[in-house]
Amino acid sequence: MLATNRRHLVATTLGAALWPATALAGNVDVSTVPERDTVQLTIYNSEDLTLVRETRHITFARGVNPLQFSWANTLIDPSSVELRFITRAEKLDVLDTTYPHDKPQMLYWNVASEFDGDAVVEITYFTSGITWAADYVCVSDLAEEQMSFEGFVRITNNSGEDYEDAQMRLVVGEINLVEKVADLARRGLISADEARAYRERDDGVRRLSRKARSELHDVVAGRMAEAAAAPKQIIKEGLSEYFIYTIEGTETVKHTWSKRMRLFQGKAVPFEIKYRYRPAEYGQQLVRLFILRNDETSSLGTTPLPDGMVRLFRDNGRDGLSFLTAYHTKYVPIGQEIELNLGRDPEVVHERLRLRSWRDNFWFRDTKGRKYFSREQGPQIRNNYPVAGWDDHEQWVERIRNYRDQPIDVELRLTLQGHVIFTSELSPKLHDYRSPQFTAQIEPAKPMDLGYEVTYRQGINHDQDNVTLKQPG
Amino acid sequence: MHLPFQWREALAIWIALGTVLAGRASAGVKLITLPPRERVEIQLDNPNATLVQEERTIPLARGTNDVVFAWANTNIDKSSIQLRFLTDPKNIKVLSVSYPPGENALTWQVYSPQAGSARVRISYIIGQLDKSFAYRAIAAHDEETLTLWQYIQLHNNANEEFGSAGMWAGFGQRIERPIGVNETKRLLLSRFDDVPIKKTYIADLARYGYLDAGKKQLRIPMHYVLKNDTDNGLGKFPLMPGKARIFQDDGRGTIAFLGEDWAGFIPRDDEMTLYLGVSKDIVVKRTIERRTQKRVLGRLYNYDVIVKYEIENFKDQPVVLDIAESMPALRADIHGDTGRQVEWTLAPKGTLTEIDREKSTADRPVFHVTLPPRGGDQKAVKQVHTLHVIIKNEW
Repeated sequence: MLATNRRHLVATTLGAALWPATALAGNVDVSTVPERDTVQLTIYNSEDLTLVRETRHITFARGVNPLQFSWANTLIDPSSVELRFITRAEKLDVLDTTYPHDKPQMLYWNVASEFDGDAVVEITYFTSGITWAADYVCVSDLAEEQMSFEGFVRITNNSGEDYEDAQMRLVVGEINLVEKVADLARRGLISADEARAYRERDDGVRRLSRKARSELHDVVAGRMAEAAAAPKQIIKEGLSEYFIYTIEGTETVKHTWSKRMRLFQGKAVPFEIKYRYRPAEYGQQLVRLFILRNDETSSLGTTPLPDGMVRLFRDNGRDGLSFLTAYHTKYVPIGQEIELNLGRDPEVVHERLRLRSWRDNFWFRDTKGRKYFSREQGPQIRNNYPVAGWDDHEQWVERIRNYRDQPIDVELRLTLQGHVIFTSELSPKLHDYRSPQFTAQIEPAKPMDLGYEVTYRQGINHDQDNVTLKQPG
Repeated sequence: MHLPFQWREALAIWIALGTVLAGRASAGVKLITLPPRERVEIQLDNPNATLVQEERTIPLARGTNDVVFAWANTNIDKSSIQLRFLTDPKNIKVLSVSYPPGENALTWQVYSPQAGSARVRISYIIGQLDKSFAYRAIAAHDEETLTLWQYIQLHNNANEEFGSAGMWAGFGQRIERPIGVNETKRLLLSRFDDVPIKKTYIADLARYGYLDAGKKQLRIPMHYVLKNDTDNGLGKFPLMPGKARIFQDDGRGTIAFLGEDWAGFIPRDDEMTLYLGVSKDIVVKRTIERRTQKRVLGRLYNYDVIVKYEIENFKDQPVVLDIAESMPALRADIHGDTGRQVEWTLAPKGTLTEIDREKSTADRPVFHVTLPPRGGDQKAVKQVHTLHVIIKNEW
């Protein structure tokens, strides 16, 4: 069975006012172990990093009080452990912090108190080994017009510590760390020289990191005060470049366990169906996409969607579901489109047919490579003059057959390398300098041919590296 | 977490009665109930995954309940497991799911506003419960039509028995059958009668090579071609890939095995082409009769090429032979492979002038020639056909 608290705060109670920290090296101590009152985890998904904040009641004696904090067999970054006083802060002060050389994963604080009595302290530190990931379950209706969209989070605890009745806060966003917390936890404190070099090297980064952390502290402190009285709800809020979810109530996640909770639900999220051929994005196939938007009009938009696995099902019309696809989506900000890629549709057939190839616009070069001759200058072209420039023409048809009951909207985007003239009556547009794209609606049961001609300018005719659109005729 | 006792099924669900703490379902002594499956549906319509949905009725106490689901020795995608309440879904809530370490199990923490039974649907994606498709066809003695059976083969290596499970492949009828552990079950999905077949022979050096390279004699494969459309008795849905075994009524009340082939995915209106074997009664010798290089300008040339086909049909039936010529392969033969597209046109001196546009591509024209049967003297009539092309603008 799992060990419970591996982390201890020990307050010595005998003669505390008189003991310097070195006195703790003695063999006979009397100690009390104050229980943790509250604990809050702020878990980042972009790094193996969790900010732990816990509060405890401690009875202080007037004078200097040694406190021992230890974290055996956990993944806590020792350089991050901090002590703050939540109550009676004006009468309490941390005199020093000592990391004993012979006792890894332990520190002592000497706390000066101006009174005899209780105070609430807060201990914060970073740990690694706690991660979270989002996943989504979408269920489309039979008509494929709207879907339920549920978001979940799964928290996995491999930190070495059981966290019971902890408030969970999850941070979405990419933070910068100059050293991995897991490395720091393994290595212990850095030396003075290392610390100096580290500060000089990355001072800007550390300031940014501290600022973000300071903001987090403030928000967390406010939330913790509210948490006890507030009704259970998921609080979602932006913070700097990040977004924080606070899971309702408290949860227990023991070491090596994981726990999954619902983050939000959109009950009737409308979506469009589109078919796209974009080899650079979806491979060499016409794919079927469900496209929805992470906004309020779509019953979503209360939160950005962290990256995670989307599982898409559909009501199969026979009192059950069909599994359509599992798809890893990237982070979706509020207001952005969400694409659910269903892959190739067996009811829509796409064939790419090259109808014809030919060449023209030849240029020849003299054997010394000094002069060029067009075909019209035929008499001047000797038999040993090589071809120096030409145009390759290809006539293509994208043939699409739609066996579904409804018309479908298709979009085709081609990526063409070289100096290209793209000629078509399909009103193409350029997505970028080398990617023409065009759209069409395909009626059911009627094959449609979408035709175009591609001209590649080759040899000395090649004087650009882009695609130019041209109307036929 | 340890299962309370030995299960007959690898998959199990149990409910710890009374209010318990999350993550402590296995601790201590508690009363548990073991609700059986009442309905199982196996969805086989996704090409890459098998979805199982099962329904059970579970007792719930008022307050928070732990519902434990375990799947020892089965390959269930843990993160795909979903629990839905069919009874009072608005008020009965799944609060969280806990996953114990090293166990194929999870615990749903469920809140119920009142005590009573609730029907639930549990769905999950399971591995090693796979499917494949197979076809069996018996052609009529005259090879004009055939009867086609389409089967789905379910391979249950998931270490879980499904009694009386409903199965659906995404098309055709729903089938209800039990399937045991390590069983493979072959189920008839569809039967199509009187499907017209077209028997084809094709001469295509680039694709099928020589039967006798020294004599330049081509390998002539024979195919059965079925069109997946309603005019030909099919066309209700795309045909999934699978092995097809073809038999023929031998006219004596028994059947003979003609051959087998892998059928690919056949969309509606496309043809299923099954390669059954090589015809040695149709002899086609292919030679390049002419290769003339003509300068255009400088080092730019056109090539005047005539490909000759000498054809004999030793069958006692007339046959339509398809002749296909790969232009990149022909260009490589007479000039070398330049990597550029082949620009070619038909020239007037050939006998093959009617290109089948539907079967042809830009680089591979297809022609048809009708071959008379072997004569009464058992001699085949030799036909000579020529393909005359100009391969243009090469250097």
